[in-house]
Amino acid sequence: MANQSGQIYGLTILSPILEGDTLDICHATALRWYLAGIPRDHTSPFAQVSSTHFARLVVMDDVVFVGAPAIEEHLKSRYLVFESNFDGDLDRYLTRMAREIPEFVDSVWQHCVGYPGVADPAAFVAYMKKCQIETTFFFADVNDKTVQQNLKALQVQSAVSHFIERNQGRPAAEIQQAFGVLLERLAKAHPPLPGGIDSEKTAAEDRPHE
Amino acid sequence: MSEIDVTDIQGFALKGYGFPYARYLLLELVHAKAAQRFIGQIVQYLTTGERWHEKPISTVNIAFTFKGLVKLELPDVTLLSFPVEFQQGMRARQEILYDTGKNAPVHWDPVWREDHVHVWLAVNARTTAALDDQCSLLLKIMEQTGGAKLLQAQDACAVFIDGKPTTKEHFGYTDGFGNPDFKGAQRECVPGQGKLTKDGKWEALATGEFLLGYADESGELPPAPIPHLLARNGTFMVYRKMHQNVATFRKFLEEQGSLYPGGKEKLASKFIGRWRDGTPVELSPDREDPALVKDNNRNTNFTYGKDLNGLRCPVGAHIRRGNPRDAFGFNGELVNRRRIMRRGLPYGQYVPEGEPVRDEDDRGIIFMALNASLFRQFEFVQQQWIEYGNDLHQGNDKDLVIGNHGGKGESVFQGTNDPKNPPFICANLPNFVELRGGDYFFLPSLTALQMIASGAVDPR
Repeated sequence: MANQSGQIYGLTILSPILEGDTLDICHATALRWYLAGIPRDHTSPFAQVSSTHFARLVVMDDVVFVGAPAIEEHLKSRYLVFESNFDGDLDRYLTRMAREIPEFVDSVWQHCVGYPGVADPAAFVAYMKKCQIETTFFFADVNDKTVQQNLKALQVQSAVSHFIERNQGRPAAEIQQAFGVLLERLAKAHPPLPGGIDSEKTAAEDRPHE
Repeated sequence: MSEIDVTDIQGFALKGYGFPYARYLLLELVHAKAAQRFIGQIVQYLTTGERWHEKPISTVNIAFTFKGLVKLELPDVTLLSFPVEFQQGMRARQEILYDTGKNAPVHWDPVWREDHVHVWLAVNARTTAALDDQCSLLLKIMEQTGGAKLLQAQDACAVFIDGKPTTKEHFGYTDGFGNPDFKGAQRECVPGQGKLTKDGKWEALATGEFLLGYADESGELPPAPIPHLLARNGTFMVYRKMHQNVATFRKFLEEQGSLYPGGKEKLASKFIGRWRDGTPVELSPDREDPALVKDNNRNTNFTYGKDLNGLRCPVGAHIRRGNPRDAFGFNGELVNRRRIMRRGLPYGQYVPEGEPVRDEDDRGIIFMALNASLFRQFEFVQQQWIEYGNDLHQGNDKDLVIGNHGGKGESVFQGTNDPKNPPFICANLPNFVELRGGDYFFLPSLTALQMIASGAVDPR
């Protein structure tokens, strides 16, 4: 099961993009412009489908010819590449997309061949699965825990490191008592919202090396 | 690749001279023709990588910023063929290097805030008299040729203790252990200083990691300017003037050391990965070991593979960040293209522990690093391993000692059940080190300098 890693599903979909124009521009260009405007932070449509770890949409034009001795080759069509790493079952995830972000899904896949719309979620699921290919690599930073488990773990990690920093060196009995309070507080705490742990800009966001 | 022509390579690229005094003359070139004359005159005084039969009393080396090469009117085709980070210069790379906040260019020395530094002319010397003599000779050549003017002379000097030069820096650590060995450098490979082989031995890295014109660890030629002859046997250098807030550091170490059950000196050793006398923590986690420090076959000869959780040497310790060795698995192969060769000396007056000291006083270290690719080597190490911690599983934590913390930093020191070696966390970290300027330089070969001096750089 190459598509599955622990509780995480790796989805790869290639949807052929319609030939011809929509209004004045071709479908691929229209789609590329639309995708460029989608927010990438916590207001992204995929933030609403909360089991999503990472998702990516790319317009793939053709094979780039790099010169001889390579052979010039072409794809049969332009494709929309959709990749998502999410928690749990594929059918359920696609159904959630159809139900929770229908306008977004329509705006994207209306440019693709054979797209049935989202009015009938079962038809949408069947269409997407028909375009599916096997996933062999997951996004490098995705582990095998669910989004909720990761958020909770980050919350616990942050709380415990603050706890140690505040309490290190105190007598054992005091630490134990304080730790009891911490555990109680953590048990009651709501898991943070996605992107809510540390939204501060870090050097990492400018990584040119990856 | 068996041997390289060391007489064509500037000595600074091949070895640390180990002299106690240095003066870095920062020059502005005045006019292309006069600057060529100046370089033509200087070449004869340059120290090459030739093996010394007798140690000279001083050395001379030269390097250029991109602006300097523009001033020299190298052909556009040549100029545009330099790697983009070198063309941009270090100041323009501030976001990538995390040189922001207190390390931002607005806080740099004025000389580095403008674009007038074209040349780094470095003199290392055994005595102050030799230093002064050599510098006045060079200044005379500048005057006679009219090719360059002095913007600033940055002095640097080893820390003297009991009248003897040491390799200590202002925080009290013994510095300067080892540098990467590479093929052809006419040097015995020292255990711990090259790359790891599959059977756990050490061998020299590919020449192309440190010199242009040779294959690197991937069997590729690092990006280099054209023509080939201009690039070959040259390398790139980063120069960073790093101010040290000694008062803040000592106060912090005193306070945290009193909370840490292993004591102040052990905590100090966890920051760096070496005890202050230089003993590697990985080899001797509980005490300083002077015999180990002196033994060049042992003092850099260690790995982290059996200490992946940092119970001996913390995973975020300074020397483990700068060179993680085998800590990421794959026999250390993930670090072989991220190595840098370090040079440098402290500047400013050393104040012994226990004596009054102020952050404001001008002291720190002139840090220089040499590598074939500033982008792939220095910038990567600085960005990913010094100013970030994800590769080490340390989240956003930065290097405790040189990180740009801005008062919000945190560092975790892993520990064991041993009451003298417990886990320890430092929070609300200030900047112990602040950047005061610097730039990226090209350190050409002797052949390349002759080409530049005679206006014969021809990219066709």
